Amino acid sequence: MNFKRDDLTKYGLVAILVIAAAVPVLSDSMFLINLLVLMLISIIFASAWNLLAFSGQGSLGHAAFFGIGAYASTMIAVQSGISPFITIFLGAAVAAFIGVLIGLTCVRLKEWFLAMVTFGFAIIVQTLTVSVLAPITGGWDGIASPRLLSPSIPGYQLIEYYAVLIITIASLVAIWYIMKSRIGLAFLAIRENEVEARSAGVDPVRYRLFAFAISAYLAGVAGAIQIHHIGYLTPELYGVDNSFWPITFVILGGLGTLAGPVIGTIVLTVIWEGLKATGLTFGRYVIVGFILILTIIFLPKGLVNLPERIQIWWKGRGRNETGARPQRE
Amino acid sequence: MKYPVLFIVALLVLATLFAGCTQQAATQQQTTSASQGTIKIGVIVSLTGPASNVGNNMWQSAQVAADKINADGGVTLKDGSKAQIKLIVGDDESTQQGGQKAATKLITDDKVDILVGGYSSAVTSAYEQTIAEYKVPYIVTGASSPIITHRTDIDTSYVFHHCPTTDTYGQYTTSFIDQVIRSAIAKKSGFSADRPLRLALMYQDTAFGKGVQTAVNNTITKEKLNIQLVSQQSFKMGESDFRTQLTAIKAANPDAVYIAAFPNEGAPIITQARRDIGLNTIFLNVENNDNAQFYKDLGQYGEGAIIESRFSPYTAPAGAVADAQNAFKQAYFTKFGTYPDMMGASTYEGVFIAAKAIGNAGTTDKATVRQALVNLKMPQVIEAMKDQTISFSPDFRESTFDLWMEQLSFNQTLGETRPAIVWPDNLKTTAFALPSWYTAGST
Amino acid sequence: MMDNLGIFLQIMFWGLYAGCIYILLATGLNLIFGVMKIVNFAHGEFLMIGAYITATIFFLTGINPYVIILLSMLALIGIGAIVERLCFRPILGTGKLNEIFLSIGLIYIFQNGAAMIWGDAWQSVRSPYDGITVPVGSLSVPLDYIIIVAFTAAILFALYFFLKKTTTGMEMRATSQNRKGAMLVGINVERIDIISFGLGCALAAAAGTLWVVSGQVFNPYMGSIPAVKAFAIIILGGLGSIPGAIIGGLLMGIAENSAAYLLGGIWKDAVSFIILIVVLVVRPTGLFGEKGE
Repeated sequence: MNFKRDDLTKYGLVAILVIAAAVPVLSDSMFLINLLVLMLISIIFASAWNLLAFSGQGSLGHAAFFGIGAYASTMIAVQSGISPFITIFLGAAVAAFIGVLIGLTCVRLKEWFLAMVTFGFAIIVQTLTVSVLAPITGGWDGIASPRLLSPSIPGYQLIEYYAVLIITIASLVAIWYIMKSRIGLAFLAIRENEVEARSAGVDPVRYRLFAFAISAYLAGVAGAIQIHHIGYLTPELYGVDNSFWPITFVILGGLGTLAGPVIGTIVLTVIWEGLKATGLTFGRYVIVGFILILTIIFLPKGLVNLPERIQIWWKGRGRNETGARPQRE
Repeated sequence: MKYPVLFIVALLVLATLFAGCTQQAATQQQTTSASQGTIKIGVIVSLTGPASNVGNNMWQSAQVAADKINADGGVTLKDGSKAQIKLIVGDDESTQQGGQKAATKLITDDKVDILVGGYSSAVTSAYEQTIAEYKVPYIVTGASSPIITHRTDIDTSYVFHHCPTTDTYGQYTTSFIDQVIRSAIAKKSGFSADRPLRLALMYQDTAFGKGVQTAVNNTITKEKLNIQLVSQQSFKMGESDFRTQLTAIKAANPDAVYIAAFPNEGAPIITQARRDIGLNTIFLNVENNDNAQFYKDLGQYGEGAIIESRFSPYTAPAGAVADAQNAFKQAYFTKFGTYPDMMGASTYEGVFIAAKAIGNAGTTDKATVRQALVNLKMPQVIEAMKDQTISFSPDFRESTFDLWMEQLSFNQTLGETRPAIVWPDNLKTTAFALPSWYTAGST
Repeated sequence: MMDNLGIFLQIMFWGLYAGCIYILLATGLNLIFGVMKIVNFAHGEFLMIGAYITATIFFLTGINPYVIILLSMLALIGIGAIVERLCFRPILGTGKLNEIFLSIGLIYIFQNGAAMIWGDAWQSVRSPYDGITVPVGSLSVPLDYIIIVAFTAAILFALYFFLKKTTTGMEMRATSQNRKGAMLVGINVERIDIISFGLGCALAAAAGTLWVVSGQVFNPYMGSIPAVKAFAIIILGGLGSIPGAIIGGLLMGIAENSAAYLLGGIWKDAVSFIILIVVLVVRPTGLFGEKGE
């Protein structure tokens, strides 16, 4: 029984994919389908944040890109009449552009300065949206957003689900590719030790900005999909809650891994909905907080690391300090 | 190599079980309702998040209403059978995603017959699509934005608005200022009749606050009122220190200040204005401030202030309305040990409206119930309605409340102020009066 | 023109008032960061707990809230010590990002735990000196204002005295300047960690009490934004620099109120971050650099 991390990732993800594709066949609960669509969106968003954290930049204001993607996509769709399926990717480009701008201010900053700056950016973007930009964004009242598919198409919920599933898979494949490539290696290098990376010929600035661009792009995709799925756009999108959830998902799942955000999102969503069913209100958040803290202290590499840890513990039991089994008397 | 395959199989089995369970639960609900004659009313409120205080009030009020209706025999259907009401709550978590999840679950899984509730307009807008798609009648009892039924991008014909909007109380309060406050000031300070009344606005920078600001501005323009807006200051939601904005307002010399805020902001605004800034004027507040905590926080500084209201912890229009409101408050207190607020009151009525509509329709068929709501003319329940009747306007399906204005006077024994209704004439118990320390703005 | 000046002076006046709370928060953060080099974004939750403890004791006993300040400070030293020991000690050295993520978990627990205990409705406390004013020059200054400023000053002086003159204080300064060196000369660094964390929390508790007494409403969620702003202040004022925190706190209070006046109340939060971002773009290590980072 040998749980190699890579194997687990590969087979685990395939398993999840199979289940995801099969769910609409097994159940006709629209609530479940809707829940899964929202969960897939969260997976994209969490993976986007994860990629940025992978490069050593932990953002506390990722809701900014989520929201910018949503707003840009909606406004383009409303103004031009282009299908939301296309404007999602255009709106995300706007988010990526802003991401690069924000990244520029953050390039030379230490990690927790960056955290504060990104937190502040989410607040600034929200303030701009409701004040200066209110004439085009609708301010606090928000604006209606064209849906991905018209409800008049029969079975549109299922089509929407599979479309979002495909986009999620595409995003994950893209991230996997980046992580495996030399770019990913560069990300790791600048995360571990910037000075050494530089001496090895890796320009941290370029790669940091690239990480920001991709991460913001994917976050924008997630935001745009969500808003076209829901149909109405308001500035609450930029709230702190939206920035903190992906962080929680990723930490629980395993920061810096491909499967981490996926596992973390699924597990926590199931736990969250389960807790809701028990009637707990504030208690839900307290439990999530405890889970987060326990994960950070005792399982720092996240749930993806759990099988390995169990394996190590399993192998190690019944042996004393020298590794020898105690002798029978 | 067998283990990964085992793993996948295990996950597939788990997923099937999970999906199967949800399906079974849903079918079970369906058979129960059909066989036992139950009417399922879904209640969507914010049980968590910033609005949870109001949300809990709304949910508990709904329960009190359901208890009463069921105790009185339930709802009579077309075939003569009586159906009991079963409430199912959905927590919208004060977020768009949460709202959509709650609405979808109630509609597609729990298969409710009708929906009541809704507080934040942003959250409610998020699932209005689902309502329109599944054509479930929805009586919104907590949202103050007119957008809910004025939206043009989707079909809102199944959404009924039983809660005053920012348009309503903005217009109402401005009229009061123009008619009552102006003459009181003129009498006290001897100003000429064509002197414009100097009004200042202190509003929360949100859809709610800006809604009131828009309503006030529009009312002044449309009705050509002789009111001059000398200062319009905004603050972010949750703000606790208003002294900067109050300084600016004081510098503009207003005759009165209209505050569009939540009670946790309104009370400090008035307190800081009178105690720290020395702005001794008439403060007008929106109805959501009429709760016990507001009076407690205000202390003696609330003297002379005005609250536009429809459900107060300390007063009610004498007669049937007062009796009904007291009975409701008592029933709520007996069950929960606290008192309801006005979103609770309108939600209480919302359940009654739902029951009445279904009773009138004689069936739970959603289209018929919707028509029954359109044609509804039922006597008011606990809040004063126009013509003592609850009915929904033909254009935007909004009901019309008989709002009143109450003025606060300080009660030495209690250490707090207490309200008395001063307007309109058919409801008032005493006349509006400017406090002795009141100073008007400049001439 | 003179009218505007008068308004601005008043705005500065009230800015000072808000500044006191920020100063206490920021100083506490500096203590913790200086000694332990950890980033705890949940610091605002200690402010909130301090406020609730003060209010609860006041509602139960009616004791003057200004006296309760000492009780709430003590309570928070205890709570702080527990949090340090159980949560931050195990992850010391694993990177600031980890500490930030941990603090997010703490924020969830504290905010919602407080909501479970006290409910999440807004509450307020009326100071016993409410309504009493003291003539200062041509102004009528509320007595509470003077007491709050005096308290802040007193606490800061006490802290200064503690750091400069007592042994423990000197050990704290030594640890913050050079942790390894301090260990070498025999200072029990872990004990110092707990003490500084506790003290930092005590300062947050004091800020919470003063918040309550100044007539501001509070609820379980009120601590998070002030905490993040306090971090912005110490970055601006120079990490570990207490005079920097004081000046930064005052400036922050004034800047926010000026922005509220000129641009509208919605800009209050954004302006603090705009200032932070501008400063960091120009000087990525903060205005006055850092001590021992």
